[in-house]
Amino acid sequence: MNSSLLVIEFLVALLGLGVLLADLWIAPSARRTLAYVATTGLLLVFTIHAGALAPADGTAFGGMFLVDGLANFFKSIFLVAAMVVLMVSTRFADRLNGYGEFVALILFATVGMLLTASANDFILMFVSLELITVTFYILVSFQRNRLSSVEAGVKYLIFGALAAAFMVFGITLIFGSANSTNFFEIAAKQGELAKSPVFLIGLLLTFVGLGFKISAFPFQMWTPDVYQGAPAPVTAFLATGSKAAGFVLILRLAYGVVPELSAKWSHLLLGFAVITALYGSFCGLAQRSVKRLMGYSSISNAGFLLLGIAAANDTGSSAVAFFLAAYVFTTLLVFAGVTVVTADGETDDFSAFGGLGQRSPFLAAGLTIGLVSLAGVPPLAGFFAKFWLFKAAALRVADDRWFLVAILAACVAVVISFYYYFGIIRAMYWPRHTAESTPVEPSIPVRLAMVTCIAAVILMGVFPGGLVSVARQAVAGLGPATAPAAHAAPPVAAH
Amino acid sequence: MDHSAAPLAVTSSHAQDLAWVVLLFPLVSALSITFGLRRSRTLTNTMALSAVVTGFFLSVALFLGFGFGPGVNADALPWLSIPGLNIHLGLKVDSLSTLMLMVVTGISSLVHLYSTQYMDEDQDYPRYFAALGLFTFAMLGIVLSDNLVQTFIFWELVGVTSYLLVGFWYEKPAAADAAKKAFLTNRIGDFGFILGIVIVWAATGTVQFDELAQKLHADPKVLGNMASLAGVLIFLGAMGKSAQVPLHVWLPDAMEGPTPVSALIHAATMVAAGVYMLCRVFFLLDLPAAWPDALSFLSPFSALGIIAWVGGITSLLAGLIAIQQDDIKRILAYSTLSQLGYMIMAVGCAGPDAAMFHLTTHACFKALLFLGAGSVIVGCHHEQNIWKMGGLWKRMPTTAICFAIGTAALCGVPVVTAGFYSKDAIFAAALADGRHMLFGIGILVAGLTTLYMARLFLVAFLGTPRSEQAEHAHESPWRMTLPLTILAFPSVALGWLPIGGFLKHRFFPEVAVHYPDSLTEILFEPFNHSPLGAVLGLGMIIFGAFAAVMLYWSAAQDPLPDRVPGISRALSRRLYFDQVYEAVFIPLHDAVAALADWFDRWIVQGFIVRGASGGVELFGRGLRLVQTGNLQTYAFFFVAGVALVVLLALN
Repeated sequence: MNSSLLVIEFLVALLGLGVLLADLWIAPSARRTLAYVATTGLLLVFTIHAGALAPADGTAFGGMFLVDGLANFFKSIFLVAAMVVLMVSTRFADRLNGYGEFVALILFATVGMLLTASANDFILMFVSLELITVTFYILVSFQRNRLSSVEAGVKYLIFGALAAAFMVFGITLIFGSANSTNFFEIAAKQGELAKSPVFLIGLLLTFVGLGFKISAFPFQMWTPDVYQGAPAPVTAFLATGSKAAGFVLILRLAYGVVPELSAKWSHLLLGFAVITALYGSFCGLAQRSVKRLMGYSSISNAGFLLLGIAAANDTGSSAVAFFLAAYVFTTLLVFAGVTVVTADGETDDFSAFGGLGQRSPFLAAGLTIGLVSLAGVPPLAGFFAKFWLFKAAALRVADDRWFLVAILAACVAVVISFYYYFGIIRAMYWPRHTAESTPVEPSIPVRLAMVTCIAAVILMGVFPGGLVSVARQAVAGLGPATAPAAHAAPPVAAH
Repeated sequence: MDHSAAPLAVTSSHAQDLAWVVLLFPLVSALSITFGLRRSRTLTNTMALSAVVTGFFLSVALFLGFGFGPGVNADALPWLSIPGLNIHLGLKVDSLSTLMLMVVTGISSLVHLYSTQYMDEDQDYPRYFAALGLFTFAMLGIVLSDNLVQTFIFWELVGVTSYLLVGFWYEKPAAADAAKKAFLTNRIGDFGFILGIVIVWAATGTVQFDELAQKLHADPKVLGNMASLAGVLIFLGAMGKSAQVPLHVWLPDAMEGPTPVSALIHAATMVAAGVYMLCRVFFLLDLPAAWPDALSFLSPFSALGIIAWVGGITSLLAGLIAIQQDDIKRILAYSTLSQLGYMIMAVGCAGPDAAMFHLTTHACFKALLFLGAGSVIVGCHHEQNIWKMGGLWKRMPTTAICFAIGTAALCGVPVVTAGFYSKDAIFAAALADGRHMLFGIGILVAGLTTLYMARLFLVAFLGTPRSEQAEHAHESPWRMTLPLTILAFPSVALGWLPIGGFLKHRFFPEVAVHYPDSLTEILFEPFNHSPLGAVLGLGMIIFGAFAAVMLYWSAAQDPLPDRVPGISRALSRRLYFDQVYEAVFIPLHDAVAALADWFDRWIVQGFIVRGASGGVELFGRGLRLVQTGNLQTYAFFFVAGVALVVLLALN
């Protein structure tokens, strides 16, 4: 057993416990410091993670826990997302009762995400996902004095429970048919398992649970309501960290564990991908609430990402990784702006953003960059991410015509989404009515977070080469080619 | 390269990179004015002025260092590299570019100095200097460019910045229209220019001047039957910028800009860019006639022949029109057109050396005349009609003397003015090329030039004041008269320098150039070198001056409309070019626009866009109904979704 592989997770969990304890003694007015301490702590963890002290690749806990390129890539995303969310949430500190708990819960959710990235077993996968979901039940309804927040929490709870029930049921079926929950072991005998309907149903039900996490059609219903009701920083984390956690597992399952089955189901995946993308785009059209709109945007983007999963080639897996990295920064940038605006006003209607170009040129510019990147306009990160994802799908057109149809449909979704992203920009710079004129002043941590995101969004768009090679390396360990090699590993770990 | 033989070349191996400084200084100045210095007028004009003056001195140094050698390239930046096309941003420092550098930065410096006074009362003083700096940067970019694509980029930049300058007083509708007209007319020429560049690139695979020259030297037929077409298309670009008939209509209107701008861009630089560019690619134009089959009816003409005739016709028509203009700036504008026609004609007559020579001298005295006109306009409280002036000789002595020198130089008064020498070089080129008709036109235009300039001078400066404004005219402050005085010197003396021989050696190194050595030989060189042109030219000057004195000596109003009403009206209406364009192109354009508008409004907007967006919107609203907010409904959809997934996957 090699528990030193979990050093990152241990450190973040300790940080969370420390914050929880410190919260008991710290004065309520100084709770904001906790967020700064937590961010600094995460920054230290991040330097360990990215630096020479990072744990080497390997497995621990009897093959349950795995450190590889993919896990490390996504752990970086989760840590960055958590840092940005914490910095942005300081704007909410006064509005949230028990801000110290809030910070600790964000850290615990981060631990869950870090674990999902390393999960190599259905049991650890379920547990880490539940760690995320359970903390989010509380986070979503954290503004207990606001009815909409509580309502969102209840909805998320019931849906989360529903999805978890299906997933755990699926896992039992998998265990029943495969006699194992380890990814490597299942990957080794996927050929014969594919003939067992029990295993197939189990796997499908597991995907249902993951589909809930990433808000894919037809499990997307909760997304707009919860996104709208939750406090803006929580929505930001939900849209980035939680979604990325779902995708790291889908990537691992589809590319690493059951690549043959996912290739067989590629039309099904493609169909759900396109419907998800179009659903998100169409429903976003008539929205006037920015948070709700971002919910639909999140659904739409899940559709694009599924396109990369369906492509089932190297480009597809690395494109999904790249897209998520770009998406996380872009979405955090938008939500940082949304947080500042909604922290003051009660509403997140378009009108709250009216005239933002004058009220806070910085915020408006940051939001605009984020939205334009989400829409996929060059030279920002969102453009290259979409481009690469579509390219992965385009590589399949030669052997499968349906990919062409899917790409065209996805392009329609992109075009429609332009309309609503630019609707927000229009509201900011060309308000329809004479909107509010009170200036908005983002605090220094928020500015810092936004500047980081802006720099990342621009750099990833202008010089995508660096991140592309990192993403390629990250997914290099996945795929059918490595499955036999992985097959050799577990007996060693087991004995 | 034999470095050991030239130790200087080794020590100064990177001195040519100073050209980057010359190029970028005005840009830095423009940017720093835009982003901060604009708060202070003193800072603004110090920055702007020092940028160009430094540029001028560096240009002189570059000329002395590199103007006499074979030319060098400054360090280049790779810009675009795709298979088959490599474009570097590079600077070419040779005799041609350094000479032109001195002209541009020299005139630009004086115009900057002049503008500090002329624009003093303008509210948008910083915007003016920022635009002026940007323009200078763009113009220097054309001058220093070492490839066609870079030339084209700066070419367009010159178009944009001249738009900013001509339309500087954009609140005046006439100025805004003039800026638009200049921009659009230039577009037509530029379209041809870029087509020409594409042809050259397609045939040779390079756009770099040196490589092109080498390829053409190795194989003069490398352009095949596209040679003349490429030449004429590139010339189209020059036709736009150098305002040749029929694309000349923008230049007179561009006089709506501030007068120093007219001096800078419509006398010395922008309009000269076309001539300069033709000289730069002269090796491309000087090819035997070769047309593609579809254009075989043009085969009697070579590219140079067409260029020569366009230039000749422009010089004649503009010279005629100038006779019946009353606005002092418009007279000068048409005179500029006419002189540009000369230069283009010289290029067409295989005399790029004569063209560049005339460009250099003309830049000095035409800038002098425009700045003088600006001084007159300010002195007469913004009166521009010469028939409301008169007697300014006594009231504005410095301006009047300088203006007289400029006038003499423009007319080409022998021996004592620079214009005499450069004009004579053009006549000689036309004769040497065997183009006797064009030679005749050139001589005739010399007479016309004297006629309209003498008319201008007699009416505006001599006689008695014809209006209140002229009565109370006053001399301008020193910041305006100093540039005039400075410019008067080269207007007189530039011809005595062996610029003609220097340029001849540059373009035709194989021809032995005879440099006159004694003073008399220098002064009377044209009579020696091409006696026919010099003598006939002198005769036409005397004739023109005589005619002007007869008609306009203390005339209260123009006698010509009474004596030859038809001709006079035609000339004062500028030979109806604008009217014809209005009658032909505007209805045509309107018809096309109306059709496009109909198509856009009903087919694109109405059917495609509105139909699609309406459908999408409706669908979106419909879908939204699914999102009821009701938890039971959601859960139902969820479970139904699970059933759907399992069903589809297991089928």
